[in-house]
Amino acid sequence: MPASNATASLLNFIVDRAHMGIFVVNQKREILLWNQFMEIHSERKADTVIGQNLFEAFPELPKKWLDRKIENIFILKNFSFTSWEQRPYLFKFAHNRPVTGGVDCMRQDCTLMPIKDSCGEVQYVCFTLFDVTDTSIYQSKLEETTEKLRELSNRDGLTQLFNRRYVEEALGKEFNRARRYHSKLSVILTDIDFFKKVNDVHGHLAGDEVLREISRRLASGLRGTDTLGRYGGEEFLVVLPETDTQGAYVLAERLRKTVQAKPIEIEGASLIINISLGITELRESTAAYAQLIAEADLALYQSKENGRNCVTLFQPGF
Amino acid sequence: MYCTNTVSFKPASKTTSMSIQPYTEDQNDALQEVVNIAMGQAGDSLARILGHFVGLSVPRIRLVTVEDVIKTVTDMVDENAEISAVRQAFSNALRGEAIVAFAQAGADDLADLMGYDTDLDQSAEQELLLEVSNLLVGAVINGISDTLKTDLSFSAPSLMAQRTPLDQVLVPEQLSWSHALLMEVNFTVEDRDFHCHLLMFMTEGAIDTLRDILDEFMDSI
Repeated sequence: MPASNATASLLNFIVDRAHMGIFVVNQKREILLWNQFMEIHSERKADTVIGQNLFEAFPELPKKWLDRKIENIFILKNFSFTSWEQRPYLFKFAHNRPVTGGVDCMRQDCTLMPIKDSCGEVQYVCFTLFDVTDTSIYQSKLEETTEKLRELSNRDGLTQLFNRRYVEEALGKEFNRARRYHSKLSVILTDIDFFKKVNDVHGHLAGDEVLREISRRLASGLRGTDTLGRYGGEEFLVVLPETDTQGAYVLAERLRKTVQAKPIEIEGASLIINISLGITELRESTAAYAQLIAEADLALYQSKENGRNCVTLFQPGF
Repeated sequence: MYCTNTVSFKPASKTTSMSIQPYTEDQNDALQEVVNIAMGQAGDSLARILGHFVGLSVPRIRLVTVEDVIKTVTDMVDENAEISAVRQAFSNALRGEAIVAFAQAGADDLADLMGYDTDLDQSAEQELLLEVSNLLVGAVINGISDTLKTDLSFSAPSLMAQRTPLDQVLVPEQLSWSHALLMEVNFTVEDRDFHCHLLMFMTEGAIDTLRDILDEFMDSI
């Protein structure tokens, strides 16, 4: 596009005043053009940087990486990009949110454009640098909120344990993993004995407090890799990766003893609360993760039949 | 001219017949030739940057449905595998999107190939994937626009998925088109784990535009 004199001076003006950084380097990395945006934010006038080597003028630039990126443009004649999401900035510029920002310096997206001569060889690389500080702030707020929502959607409001959906999902994942790697997997289903009586005699607020306290005691008895969730009203599911029924039995006994170890104090009453537990493990014949829950439930039922406050291992034939 | 000594074409592993033919045989031949050249240039660019011999499959061009696309990517890696994927838009004379899918094992190998420390942090790994994607997509786009004498530009690369199970990368329900023209090729690096799959999609309008461009191209030679 041949530019008339008027167009050329218009273009000069626009390049200089556009609200983005524009600068050009040649193959020796010498700066040939430095627009007003770059002047303002680098606090370096064009006439003090033009003709200088980019990396000598700005030693804080990530030289090894950027130099290679520039070289690749001369070799490959290809546009290249940088994004704040991976590399927050090239130049350490102040941003225009000194008060409301919350980030240390201007976040930048950058486009590196090859400028070719009539033979198609790259002579210069033109950088355009965009201030994306606002975008980055919104993005991190969005991420924080999403993370909070995800956390909330996984938790049971009363006990703060994982909810049923989450713990079933975790079991599903562990089920697939154990199948793939032929590793062990056990589950414990546990239920508070005579919980209805607590509610009936002491009221629902007391019942809630018992649920919370038992949740704390169960959680304190587990290992880091175990997943504990509130499965139903007074039922809890524990997923135990890399654990056979022997290991699960030891753990279940520990949970049973931890829960009954000391009385729960509520509204003047001091209650000894027991739990019953059922255990099963992944076998060759286990068809789906739901089968594990069903088997643990049968074992739990057996514990109730056997007088409660005990642990039962699932056996085929229950 | 680009040098071909570092790039080799391999026969495609399988061929799928097209159910609908968007182009005549001549148009197809011309397009295949143009895409071969462009993909070859992409492979050559990759070889230059990695300093390794790069192999590529014969580029396939076909009209696909949403289901085919999922299967295309599934063919590349095993079903449970995790992949990372980068997308870039191209526009101007032809509009569409390019996706580069990296098998995870290969992505780890890439850092080593590019001469970086192998235990990269997440941002550095992402940057590397974006860089390679941009290199391939840029070379293909430049190759096509040089040969067809059309103007094509492309957007900055962005990450679609990192270490994500395959079935979550492209979810059929979220795709709003029924048919697309797909041009695809596989890049491998000799004796290394690294391989990636380049997919370029054009949907309805662009398929027609490309037909006109191909006719003009054939008239001009």
